Amino acid sequence: MLGRRILKDRVAHGTMATLTVFVILMVLVMAVGLCLKSAPVLEGQSLWTLLGSSEWKPMKGQFGFLPFIMGTLWVTFLAVLIALPISLLTAIFLTEYARPVVRRFVFPALDILAALPSVIYGVWGMLVIVPWISERLAPHFVEFSSGYTVLAAGIVLGVMVIPLLVSLFIEVFSSVPMELREASIALGATRWQTTRKVVLRKTLPGVLAATVLAISRAMGETIAVLMVCGCVIGIPTSVLDSAYPIPALIANNYGEMLSMPLYESALMFAALILFAVVLIFNLISRIVLYRIERRDA
Amino acid sequence: MAIEVQHLNVHIGDNHILKDVNLTLPERQITCIIGPSGCGKSTLLRTLNRLIDSTEGVKLDGKVLVDGEDIIGSGPEITELRRKIGLVSQRPCPLPMSIFDNVAYGCRINKMFKRRKSLIYAVQKNLMAVGLWQEVRGRVRTPAARLSIGQQQRLCLARSLAVAPQYILADEATSALDPISSKTVEDLFVSLKNEYTIIMVTHTLRQALRIADNVVFMYLGEIIEQGPADQVFNHPQQELTQKYLSGAFS
Repeated sequence: MLGRRILKDRVAHGTMATLTVFVILMVLVMAVGLCLKSAPVLEGQSLWTLLGSSEWKPMKGQFGFLPFIMGTLWVTFLAVLIALPISLLTAIFLTEYARPVVRRFVFPALDILAALPSVIYGVWGMLVIVPWISERLAPHFVEFSSGYTVLAAGIVLGVMVIPLLVSLFIEVFSSVPMELREASIALGATRWQTTRKVVLRKTLPGVLAATVLAISRAMGETIAVLMVCGCVIGIPTSVLDSAYPIPALIANNYGEMLSMPLYESALMFAALILFAVVLIFNLISRIVLYRIERRDA
Repeated sequence: MAIEVQHLNVHIGDNHILKDVNLTLPERQITCIIGPSGCGKSTLLRTLNRLIDSTEGVKLDGKVLVDGEDIIGSGPEITELRRKIGLVSQRPCPLPMSIFDNVAYGCRINKMFKRRKSLIYAVQKNLMAVGLWQEVRGRVRTPAARLSIGQQQRLCLARSLAVAPQYILADEATSALDPISSKTVEDLFVSLKNEYTIIMVTHTLRQALRIADNVVFMYLGEIIEQGPADQVFNHPQQELTQKYLSGAFS
């Protein structure tokens, strides 16, 4: 009897360990696959030319990714700039101020928003945000704008990321023991002072981790951004310029261009850039989190 | 009388937690509130500094007079009331900051000092008052979480004292501590009673016996008996008190 129990325990342990290794291997396989597929374009042009050039002439074999990298960064930065304060304050309201009955209504609504397919956000962007920028906002600043801009992509992406960020922040803030809040309130602190000086301070690593997760998600978002960013190759100089982020480049062109091996390789290299940027970004944030946690522990 | 509770009733949802509580808490003495688990001791304590407000579905009724002012009605500003009534909770709860910042926290929140030197002096004075200064001097800038549990509890007491309260509420403040730390904190309360009115909830009868000047015995949300410690422990008037003290229930 004991032998069977131990056997079951070992089988469970072994299965889970194998599956964990498999998940990690998948990421490695993806990275290796992208590197191999990118090799042809790297043979033709140096890494720095690929990353630093704006020349995008696939027919001539010139692939400068700078406009796409900048497009990705512009849209992601703007989306996070919009989503971060709104999400942070919403999550603070829901965890620190709102009555439980409010939470009971808002939490399911947030889950629904988070589960909406991104194409719906894209359609909303095309029907509402793009015309609003084109007809109402842009005329104050430029002569003409189609509305398909960095701003439209940033707003749509920002709104998409908000439910995710709010949910993550709520999880993070809820992990703070009530006694800690009461310790501050009992000294005469207001709720806002307690939130700023105790709750946010205690949860800083969690807030950073959640933000990094949201940024990674925003960087990789494809469909909704593709529908409203304009997809014009060029480095944006303002939020009213069109952009062409990397995921949109890959989604728009892959499949069509399979007849040109070098173009396919270039698109794989674009995917590799995205992969590397997200990876580096996560690694940096891990280091920062580790330092903060070590400082406070 | 420093704090006077008159016909206090506390409901949480459908539960009647405190039932017509009438109580006087004398100044500059230690009053120990004793009673079995769930009898409403902590609720009473949390009502005195209105921390009970954060409990969902709470309804207060009656009067709690602190220095003659009713804190249940419109009363004084709640943050000022809480500054005046310090709290030491069951488990030490250091704020996520350095030892220095923990003690300075309340002073900064309440804008008590304009000069940094005064703040540093206040932190040092209060760390000395709880006997922690010698142990932490030279590392006051390190996180408070690195202190031992007993040290953390004394730090929390120093933090409460730093905002110059008149009253100290202690909710089973030694229950999470080892015997030596517990004795240290207990002695601290005794030494502080000349300056502060201390109201202490305790589960340990022996502790109440050692340090209480007055004792309040509660049972199922009601005050069964209250009076000088000597009287309550040696000549209890109520049968329930006698049974509780004899260990018939706990």
